[in-house]
Parts: sequence; C-alpha cells; structure tokens
Amino acid sequence: MELQPIFIQILALAIFSIGIMVAISRRNIFFLLMGVELALNAVNLSFVGFAKTLPADMSVAGQIVPLFAIAIAAAEACVGFAMVIMIFRNRESIDSDSYSSMKG
Amino acid sequence: MLALIYFIVLAVIALGSALCVLLARHPLYAGLSLVTSMVSLAGIYGLIGSPFMGVVQIMVYAGAIMMLVTFVIMVLNGARDSKTPMFDKVSLFVIPAVLVLAGLVGFALVRSPLAFDATTLRGSVELTSKTLFDMAQTGPGYFLLFEVLGLLLLSAMVAAVLLAKKRLGSIETENTEVKH
Repeated sequence: MELQPIFIQILALAIFSIGIMVAISRRNIFFLLMGVELALNAVNLSFVGFAKTLPADMSVAGQIVPLFAIAIAAAEACVGFAMVIMIFRNRESIDSDSYSSMKG
Repeated sequence: MLALIYFIVLAVIALGSALCVLLARHPLYAGLSLVTSMVSLAGIYGLIGSPFMGVVQIMVYAGAIMMLVTFVIMVLNGARDSKTPMFDKVSLFVIPAVLVLAGLVGFALVRSPLAFDATTLRGSVELTSKTLFDMAQTGPGYFLLFEVLGLLLLSAMVAAVLLAKKRLGSIETENTEVKH
C-alpha cells in the first residue's frame, strides 16, 4: 500500500480540529494563540497535499500560497503577542475570560 | 511502502504533540510540543516533495515564531497563575462540536476521488523562486504579492513595537520610573 493523498488530508484535518479545540476551549491566552498557529499549520499541509494531486502547470500555486500563509502567520503572531503584553500590563492576568471590558 | 512508513511515523509524532498542546498545563511545555509538531510537519513536506516548504517551515515557524512565543511566555512569566482551570464549561460543548465538524469534513474527504498526479512538480528552491519572481507580462504576478507582504511585515513589526512599549511616546515617565 502506497502513500495516498487522502492520508495527508486526514492528518491535516485532525491537526486543524485539535488547533481549533485548543484555540476555543483553553482559557490561557498563550494557548489560544498557539492553537491558531496549529490550525494555520494544518491548512498549509492541506494546501501542499492538494497541490500534489494537480498536473504540472497548476501544482505550482500550491507551493507558493503556503509561503504567503506562513508570512501572514508570522505577522499575526507578532501583533497578537504584542497585544497580549499590552493587555497583561493592564489586567495582570492571562486568563482570556478576564479580558471582557469590551462586553456590551 | 517506505514512504508510507515514514509518513505514519511523522504523522503519529505530529498528532501526539498536537494533543500535548491541548493537554499541557504550562505554556512552555505546550510551546515545546508545538515545535515538535512543526518539525515533523516539515518532514512530511519533504516526504511529499516540497523541500523548500519544509525548510521555510523550520526556519520561520519552528525558529522565529516559536522563539517569539517562548520570549513572551518568559517575559510575562506564564506560570504565575497556575490556579486558573484549564477548561471551563464551554469546552464541554466546543469539543463535541469540533469533533462533529471534523467527522463531516472527513466524510466528504473520504468520498472524494483523490490521487497523486504523476506530472506534478517538485517544489524545489529553483521552481519556487522562478515562479515567485516571474516578472513577465503573462506571468502569474506573485512578485507583487511578495512586495505587499514585505510592507505588511514591516507594518506588523512597527505595530508590535509600539504596542509593547511601556508608555506610548513619553520618555520622561520611563526615566522617573527608573529613579524610583
């Protein structure tokens, strides 16, 4: 039995679900950002896996778009952690439930 | 056959360390498991024929982003409140919902016909750079996106520096804080 593209997609789906679970259900703010990173990783894996099922002239996009996704993830992590530092100075807490001063 | 064995080993490592992120108590342990997960994903990229993506994954994700995460955890001393519970009542609904969603998408994936194309291109450095910097009129135009991305990263860096500064633009208050 050889390596099938569906295995890669199933792995990406599993990692994506775990990332979403970490991002939504954990209360520590660091885990929230790490869960988002994990989900972005899984989406990149899915992109590359799907690109391998396309013919030559179309499969190039699958190598380029994940690079852009990685750069966006770097920008997101940069700004996200700066905001965490700023909020932590005001609240002295890393529990994401305590960041609720914008609640209506 | 050999590729399948390598894939299973790397996938088990990636999934196990992703689960460790979900269940870890301290953010630093979660960061370490996240690095392990990312490195094994880089191995999978190399295995399915995108070595450049794997190298970028290791350099940017496992290197730069995780270094940032570790720095921030150490600066804010993430162990300080180990009393907050890991999960709350919302998790009871979130986790089954995500599992059901994964089941539905997995069902759709399994039913779809997918097969590796024999003519697919290997994502080497040469191919990636040639496509990325193809400035021909009829080319894909990725170089424009690349330039925009440079601007985006610059603005993100400036925003992060401004946000994480102690007091916005007042040197005097910082000096008085040092004196006290």
